[in-house]
Amino acid sequence: MSDLAEIEQSVESLLTVPPYALPPGQRYETLLPLLKKELTYACDRNPGFRNYVEHWPVDFQSVDRIADLPYLPVGIFKANPPLSLVGADQVKRTLASSATTGQVPSRIVLDTATSKRMTKSVITIIKDFIGVARRPYLVIDTTENLRAQAELGARGAAIQGLASFASEVVCCLHHNQGADSCLDTEKLLRCATKWKNCEILAYGFTYVIWTQLVQPLLRQSITLDMPNIRVLHSGGWKRLEEESVSREAFIRGVATVFGCSEDRIFDFYGMVENIGVIYPDCQYGNKHVPAFAEVIVRNPCTLAPVEAGERGLIQVCSVLPTSFPGFLVLTEDMAEVIDCDECPCGRRGISFRFAGRAPKAEVRGCGNLETARHQHVSWSSAV
Amino acid sequence: MSDLVETVDSPQRLACAAQQLREAVQQCEIVPQVVLELFEQWAAALDEPESREVPGVTFLRLWLRRSTLEPLVLRELGSDSLDGNWREDGRARLRAFPLGVIGHWPAGNIEIQPFLSLTCALLGGNGCLVRVPDKLADITRRVMKKLQQVDPGNLLTDRIFMASFDHSRMDLHEAMARSVDGAMIWGGAEAVSKVRALPFPHWARVVVFGPRLSVAAMDASAWSDCNQRSSWCRRIARDVWQFEQQACSSPQALFLERQNGCDPDQFTQSLRQAFEEENRLHPRQQIEPGLTSAICHARASWLLSDAAHRGSFPLSPDWTILVGEGADIPKPTQGRTLNVLLVDDLLEVISRFDGTVQTLGLAVNDAHREEALARAAGRHGVDRVARLGRMHVFGSPWDGVDLVRPMVRLVRHVRSQD
Repeated sequence: MSDLAEIEQSVESLLTVPPYALPPGQRYETLLPLLKKELTYACDRNPGFRNYVEHWPVDFQSVDRIADLPYLPVGIFKANPPLSLVGADQVKRTLASSATTGQVPSRIVLDTATSKRMTKSVITIIKDFIGVARRPYLVIDTTENLRAQAELGARGAAIQGLASFASEVVCCLHHNQGADSCLDTEKLLRCATKWKNCEILAYGFTYVIWTQLVQPLLRQSITLDMPNIRVLHSGGWKRLEEESVSREAFIRGVATVFGCSEDRIFDFYGMVENIGVIYPDCQYGNKHVPAFAEVIVRNPCTLAPVEAGERGLIQVCSVLPTSFPGFLVLTEDMAEVIDCDECPCGRRGISFRFAGRAPKAEVRGCGNLETARHQHVSWSSAV
Repeated sequence: MSDLVETVDSPQRLACAAQQLREAVQQCEIVPQVVLELFEQWAAALDEPESREVPGVTFLRLWLRRSTLEPLVLRELGSDSLDGNWREDGRARLRAFPLGVIGHWPAGNIEIQPFLSLTCALLGGNGCLVRVPDKLADITRRVMKKLQQVDPGNLLTDRIFMASFDHSRMDLHEAMARSVDGAMIWGGAEAVSKVRALPFPHWARVVVFGPRLSVAAMDASAWSDCNQRSSWCRRIARDVWQFEQQACSSPQALFLERQNGCDPDQFTQSLRQAFEEENRLHPRQQIEPGLTSAICHARASWLLSDAAHRGSFPLSPDWTILVGEGADIPKPTQGRTLNVLLVDDLLEVISRFDGTVQTLGLAVNDAHREEALARAAGRHGVDRVARLGRMHVFGSPWDGVDLVRPMVRLVRHVRSQD
């Protein structure tokens, strides 16, 4: 059996176990050797990656903790062409992150096998939170993000990833004449009437839900009677924070317009570089890690893993990809470790809470030449 | 001075403070000799445990010594300037007078910079309105407290107003700018551009220091000499460690001139040992998570981009050495990240400087060769050429500009009796 086949078989078997039931010890015993195999495989496929791994301060084959394996910083996935472990002919789809204006998006390449694994893993995770039944799926977005495309954004990937749970799909935003999207209120009201007593799944980007659904409905004093809806949202809080909208206000607003209880609204954390793994909040507000992944929170000063109650940079680990080297990725996000194996929800392993984006290095020194002389800068970031 | 660093919330307060400083300057002339004496006492007062904890205070004490500043004043203001005497200049005579109130916008990354800046203006007899970056407020209070102790007559402290306000308070920055007769601005590109655009009076003299970067260079005879190697590496580590490499005088890259038979691996091994030792002596206490990310990114992007690139770093973000070839300066990462680049000819490196390089740190055994490199550097915009290990030694001129002279007016007097 080839190295790749062996890896794929191990990953497949991990995808069949209950995602949050593995005791930590058993998880490490499974993941560590598999990640080492994947690193070896990636080194064979990419000379640059091999050079990086060879310069890692410790020999990864000899380590006995996942935390000591060589990881890539998330920014490296902004490279063009994207970091790849497969030939161009094997690339089925390229996913791009939702970079805000002026930022370079991350891009990752998926081959057929990795793509299938991603879909399967997302279903495994979501099933654990909402059950297996298919149900009406309300997409708080436009239909464009439902279409199969060679290059797909994070919004489209998330929307399509949840489509496996849909018995029917309705997108409640449409493009107005100015090409901006806006709420199709009539369509939404029809769905609310039709699906009134059904279990419904809804998904949208956090800021899209707020700006294009909650605010317009609140302005019009419209309340939908959909008590059995489950609203999943992702994409981060930065834009809402900029508008001084707190999480509490967001949840309250969403619950108000749907006429549901606040515990039916789930924020999940995820990123294209860690595609296939998402981290929804459990009923206790904690995030958990499925069996085929791991999260390590690192002290920014030492990069050593932190203890429960401490904050640090999030490193995500996943055995899922074989088309790009996204096994071990240090993000630019912060989290607080809540505990290990002690969440009352019963999910095993580390539990953590997202603590926002790490601010960009605030270079205030006279050695800062990064800004082009002609570039306009905002006052608030300058002095 | 009620509070040594006052939190300011209104433009009127800044205008009022500037007016008081102006009155202090006009009512009581202070000559460099007196200022130097008080500085000497201030330096002595800073020689105690609590003050020594302030990063850079050892250097500040050296800076405040008469032996440092007196030659500087004599060079910039003339031989008779210490006692405020006129100096003869043909049929006329010249004497330095203060501009008035000098606004100081120090950079936020160097703890002692508010003091380096204001001492230059005080030597010219000026009043100082200093905007203290939030992060430096506590440290600034500690150092100012020592000045207060040695200045019971308030000769200097009456000429200083330290203001702390949020960096986004445009109205306060503008009020400060309108109130001053001169300005000393330090910092990165964004900060400097924004401060320089403030509504200063048309008569105000504005001097800008930064933004710049610095590089180090060694010829083969220096870096390949096994007797000197570890010593040079210790000096380089010292220059890299200071100010988290965020200062304009911090080396971001080290160019090694290639020579047949000289093995750069031995040098980089010594450099690694020097970095480890410097880190042991001066471990980092804290770091912005964004800088950690930038360091990790620099390591990965360097090694991924070319399989011939090499590097050396610990698991922590403590320090990073990235080795390769090329005559261009890589984008600086800072945070103790040094690019070591092999080149055929150091003159080729210097010929590519575009005016952004402030300091060229050199280790060159041949004096004639160093002369050629220094001349080339001067032609390509470099303002300082220093020995490795002394790249941060603050002195005049800085960025090619005198430090005291721009903040005084030279009054020319032609006697009416002649």
